[in-house]
Amino acid sequence: MVPAPRLKQRLLRQAVRANLDTIRGRPLRALRTRSHLWRALERGALLALVPTLAVLIFQVASRSVPAPAADPARAGTMLATFPAPRALAPVTAALAVRRIVLDPGHGGHDSGARAAGIWEKEITLDVARELRRLLQAARYDVVLTRDADAFLSLRERAQRANAERADLFVSVHVNSVPSQDCHAVETYYLGPADDPRAEALAGTENRESGYQLADFRRLLEGVYVHVRQAESRKLAQQIQHELVDVLGNTNPAIRDKGVRSAPFLVLVASDAPGVLAEVSCLSNDDEAARLAESGYRQRIARALFLGIHGYAEARNRTATLGTTQEASR
Amino acid sequence: MSKKSEVLHVGIDLGTSRSSISASNGVRHVVESYVGWPADMVARKLVKKPILFGREALDNRPMLELRRPLERGLIKEGSERDELAVRELLRHLVSLAGGRDGQPVRAVVGVPAEALRVSRQNLRSAVKGLADALMIVSEPFAVAYGMDALLHTMIIDIGAGTTDFCVMRGRYPTEEDQRTLTNAGDSIDEQLATLVRARHPDAQFSIYMVREWKEKWSFVGEPRGPVTVTVQKGARGVSVDITGEMRRACESVLAPIAETMTDLLARVEPEYQERVRHNIVLAGGGSQIPGLAAALERTLAEYGGGAVRVVEDPVFAGSNGSLAIALDASEGDWESLAG
Repeated sequence: MVPAPRLKQRLLRQAVRANLDTIRGRPLRALRTRSHLWRALERGALLALVPTLAVLIFQVASRSVPAPAADPARAGTMLATFPAPRALAPVTAALAVRRIVLDPGHGGHDSGARAAGIWEKEITLDVARELRRLLQAARYDVVLTRDADAFLSLRERAQRANAERADLFVSVHVNSVPSQDCHAVETYYLGPADDPRAEALAGTENRESGYQLADFRRLLEGVYVHVRQAESRKLAQQIQHELVDVLGNTNPAIRDKGVRSAPFLVLVASDAPGVLAEVSCLSNDDEAARLAESGYRQRIARALFLGIHGYAEARNRTATLGTTQEASR
Repeated sequence: MSKKSEVLHVGIDLGTSRSSISASNGVRHVVESYVGWPADMVARKLVKKPILFGREALDNRPMLELRRPLERGLIKEGSERDELAVRELLRHLVSLAGGRDGQPVRAVVGVPAEALRVSRQNLRSAVKGLADALMIVSEPFAVAYGMDALLHTMIIDIGAGTTDFCVMRGRYPTEEDQRTLTNAGDSIDEQLATLVRARHPDAQFSIYMVREWKEKWSFVGEPRGPVTVTVQKGARGVSVDITGEMRRACESVLAPIAETMTDLLARVEPEYQERVRHNIVLAGGGSQIPGLAAALERTLAEYGGGAVRVVEDPVFAGSNGSLAIALDASEGDWESLAG
């Protein structure tokens, strides 16, 4: 047993260190559970961010944008039904993250999965509301695609994000698979499916889309919009890392299924970089019991917040750096 | 370098509802966390002050632009006025400590755990320059430090904006040792207002009146007597019985607090769980709700029993703990934190 005075001294030293971290603009030691290797990689990634973005901007600028559909009448119909996904304008690569659109999955008659007396639509809305509170407190402008138990098609969700001129789009879902072993946490960004399960999941989540078959070609072109895809992947990596980090502390069974790409329609049609986070697995009894606790749902929201905030801070630093460099020219 | 005896050390508990200061010269003060500026020239002439704090601000609220800057336990960001309100409130508290002119001030400020987590950079910049050296810590840690309860203890700090849980395991609290709920004093007020409004749709009352009712007559379990308050109905004062509404509102926080407490207990190493279970401390304004500690003990009975006690001197427990940290920190610590 550590004697009380020595224990107090030790805790005092840790409190001072935490304050020095704040003064130096570093994450709190008490909140950092990442390895030294990860931190070194993170620092390296930050340093590499500026040239990487420059290369991506150049690629997009020099890339020929696919021509619109040959049939003008058809193209007109398609434009009237929904705006085509556009490549992220290169100039936005130097802009900061201000407005975030959160999309609580399902709603209304589309209740999603159910277990332990709760519906997926209730969990996603609760998590999104708490996440909104955290983000607003950190000065972000936050819009929810739905703030009640209401049905919205995927198309309406994406349209809402575009109308709000979102800088980021985050869709919150809860997994449900036949296996009881599922403790998976995974984050998807836009891209072609990288495995059959991801493809099947995208198929499930793409129901109630509100799109027609005629819209598909244009939608799939959106899958390959490079800058948005690269930024979405980075956002997904941050969110996935924090989900595993924060939830893993209290739920050792959590399995890190990593970051994956899949053609979720809700991501395809939104202009902003976006991700779809499957924050837990409702089909697992243990996970369902945890999800019924408000404290656990708050932890999920906090993990999502840390992921979004971490990504945005890195972006905002880049934006500031860009502005400073511009000014010094 | 300043001699320790020449320096004024202060511990501050910056709360959503109340803020207190304990200073090394023995001075202690508590103010309600309201800051108000006269709304116009007429108001300024009437209140005769450029800025008002606490009860005085609340009493003059029709004439003021009134701020309560730590709503829901967080510094209300995005509003320069709220950041200024935090700063002015702290400046006011430090001035109440009565330091001599030119006397160096070293301050430890305890803030809700969530505020420290989410807005620590903003907090730091809001309080910069108010003291010669400054340390910010989470409120439950300050309370635990002041009580020497740094090992195998759970602090449940029920404030106005948040309820902070912290298991002290002999280390500076990490993410896994802490939880924050927004079920706290303000949520009781909102619930009480909704319930009274539902039963008396024609009654007129403000959230400030509801807050006062709660502070006087809150309870969990059996009431000490009927709770009767006066509301306005068509410009006439009418007495209404709100005993049932008060119980439901106060008990609305019981389930989430009990649930989070047992969840955190379950995550303590098995060999220490019983010790922590018998060493649970309620702090913050919400700890004063009669019957709450007993109700939580009844919950613990299902888990093999436990003991929940209310912190002594709840108004100053946080600021006293912060002062203890300030006095224990070494010269070297303070030098590194200066500026």
